[in-house]
Amino acid sequence: MIAYTIRRLAQLVLVLFGLTLLIFTLLKTMPGDPAVVMAGIGAQLETIQGLREQLGLNEPLHVQYWRLFSGLFTGELQAMTFRRPGPVWNVIWERLPATVELGFFGLLLAVIVSVPAGLLSAIYRNTPLDYAVTTAALMGISIPVFWFALMMMIVFGVFLHWLPVSGRGDALWGWSFLTIDGLRHLVIPAVALASVQMALNARLTRASMLEVLRQDYVTTARSKGLRERVVLIKHAFRNAMAPVVTNIGMQIGTVFAGAVLTETTTAWPGIGRLMVDAIMRRDQSVVFALTLFLGFIFMVSFLIIDLFYAYIDPRITYD
Amino acid sequence: MRRLLIGLVVALVAFGVAGLAETNVPETPGATLGGTLTLGVGQVFKDLDPRISNSAYDSYVINEVFDRLVDFHPDTKEIVPFVAKSWEILSDTVTRFYINEGILFHNGEPLTAEDVAFTFNWIADEANNSPNMTELVWMEEAVVVEEYVLDIVTKDEYAPYAPGFASETRAIVPMDYVLEVGDEAFNVAPIGSGPYKFVEWRTGDRVILERNEDYWLVYPNLEQVVYRPIPELSVMMAELEAGGIDISDTMPATDVPRFRGMDDIEVMQAPGMFYFYVFFNLQHAPSNDIRWRKAVYMSVNYDAAVFSIFQNLTGLRMYGCVPEGLWANDTEYLRDTVALQENDAEAKRLFQELKDEGIIPANYKTKVYCPMDPRRRQLATIMATNLIENGIDAEVVPMDWATYLPLCYRSESDPTAADLDQGIIGWSGGYDPHDFVYYMFHSDNCTVGSADNLCWLQDDEVDAWIFDADTTLDQATREELYVKAQRKAFELYTNIPGYNYIQTNGVNTRVHGFIVDPLGSYLLCDPYHNVWVDG
Repeated sequence: MIAYTIRRLAQLVLVLFGLTLLIFTLLKTMPGDPAVVMAGIGAQLETIQGLREQLGLNEPLHVQYWRLFSGLFTGELQAMTFRRPGPVWNVIWERLPATVELGFFGLLLAVIVSVPAGLLSAIYRNTPLDYAVTTAALMGISIPVFWFALMMMIVFGVFLHWLPVSGRGDALWGWSFLTIDGLRHLVIPAVALASVQMALNARLTRASMLEVLRQDYVTTARSKGLRERVVLIKHAFRNAMAPVVTNIGMQIGTVFAGAVLTETTTAWPGIGRLMVDAIMRRDQSVVFALTLFLGFIFMVSFLIIDLFYAYIDPRITYD
Repeated sequence: MRRLLIGLVVALVAFGVAGLAETNVPETPGATLGGTLTLGVGQVFKDLDPRISNSAYDSYVINEVFDRLVDFHPDTKEIVPFVAKSWEILSDTVTRFYINEGILFHNGEPLTAEDVAFTFNWIADEANNSPNMTELVWMEEAVVVEEYVLDIVTKDEYAPYAPGFASETRAIVPMDYVLEVGDEAFNVAPIGSGPYKFVEWRTGDRVILERNEDYWLVYPNLEQVVYRPIPELSVMMAELEAGGIDISDTMPATDVPRFRGMDDIEVMQAPGMFYFYVFFNLQHAPSNDIRWRKAVYMSVNYDAAVFSIFQNLTGLRMYGCVPEGLWANDTEYLRDTVALQENDAEAKRLFQELKDEGIIPANYKTKVYCPMDPRRRQLATIMATNLIENGIDAEVVPMDWATYLPLCYRSESDPTAADLDQGIIGWSGGYDPHDFVYYMFHSDNCTVGSADNLCWLQDDEVDAWIFDADTTLDQATREELYVKAQRKAFELYTNIPGYNYIQTNGVNTRVHGFIVDPLGSYLLCDPYHNVWVDG
């Protein structure tokens, strides 16, 4: 297992290096000029040219690449159009807590709701409970996240005044879930984000559980006289969870990068919106750093899930 | 000439003194002190340093954290004293400003002529790459004469420069503090001398200001001001309705009737200072042919198109580039004499003529470029649809700003924007017609890489009229010259005027003393406003 982990980490480094080349190529072939965006409408040509010089955009491509790549590690790389002191990482770290807590609570909510729902749906197959869960899952997959968020804002925020409509609440030590105001602001975005994940996980749990319940060893366990609860939890559930865990692991990365719609609709200041802003501004430093960061998160989360997979299923080894 | 200058100096000094008396505003009668005002903002903030900020949204915060050298009277739009208590024109190239004493920055340091000079010279210095340099391109330098006396020197080729005063409505930064902390740190935590002090900027999220207890001009009524960026318009409207924000910085036309029916929201409006228009590219065929431009104009009922977008609720058709309410506006003439009505038969005839002459190649497809903003996309779609009906294959090409602006500005690799026949864009100016006429039509602004004269009109007569208007101090003469320049530019159909915004704010009834800013910003506390809230 240790050797496997080391091999995967080495692969991670190579893949991330390849990713830097890919991002850089895309950044340089994408139309648009960050100097023009920074200068704005009505700027003098001298200002635009001066900004291009200041941002190093006139340098040879290999020099620009090295400046981006090495600057990430030395801390010398600054954001191009987000004028902040310090390295480009500061721009990302500022927004990271918002995305982490939104993603964590969204995922937590999704798991807490979807796994039991999927299990019950499988156990009580073809009952009203099963139909209700299946229908809810279908709606969760079908309804656009931004529309769902908007509807919740209108119902709970505008009509009922139960929750704030949008934005992030007060924070303690940078984390808004530590305050009541922060938790109240977290509800709508987290539920909106969780809606699709809940639906997918519930369906996957149901399907996986049904598959496992048909296996011979489950029939054997029942025929040995074991209580149904023991059969379900000790024998069926653990095996059924393998694909579900894999799916949840993949969602970790998606939650970081794919919450753009939720963040934009609910005015949540996370890195999803930061990525969109950076792309619109053609801020090559922020896009470069953020894409690498997200790639790292994806790959580490896949590794953790693979290792966890081996832990929960003793038949799996990586040696 | 000498008598005229002396008369002008006397008038301006007298005006300056009278203005000083008017700026000693007593505390607002009936106001409640304290409370928090929450403002909705359509985009996240980019920069809070007024020397580099070029975003209208940033100005919401900048207007409150900083004071301006001079200001515009909200009703007459004339230049009035602010940080400068008075001024005198010493010559064609030198204007002397006398700074109010006793103004303190938020760190307790006094605002002096040195800070004003530092601010202006920093912006005008090419080495700093300030996007606002273009507004001070006429300035030679700002010179400190005494601690509270400053000379602004105009370059000889621009002297006397009448629009210069409009550029001097510029926020003043504290020189010592900026040099101490650095430009980048100052940008994220600014200090000014304004009525509200910067407290916090949660990047991507809100900016929080608090009352400056030692504000020199008047005691600000509000305890705290919170600016909340809410990019989705529908969400901003929901926040306004739910009470999450007290004022929205805009309102879609479709929501105006609904909010007008609410007891706790007031819809406040004022004509904006914007010009949204279709520009033609005069650099190549077919758009360099006046018949093409007239035919495109006559293919669409622009009055109806603008009405369909705004229902006359938040936008109105324009006929020239200077908004109504501003001097040198020439709406009557341009609407009644120059503007073209929809005439599909004539449009088709002109298009056919151009095709017969080979100016429109066979199977030609024209593009209507526009930014991603839904209203301009709507107008572009209406244009393309009507062009197709009149026999010209057309498509709408929406672009984000980072791609659209370089196309419009032209580039070394594409100096004539070969693919660009026409595009839709917008412009916002201030209270001097120079802000519109000069940038739209003077050939100075036909610069590959940074054009503002997007139609690329290069007409000696128009240039001369605009230059004379800019270098004349008499307003009546300036007006006459700007009108002449506009008439010729529009009679050549270089632009199809589109619309101006009706600046619309949704305001909770707990807010008092708020006045709509035609420039689209928020103004909370200055010589003419001191907003307060209930409870």
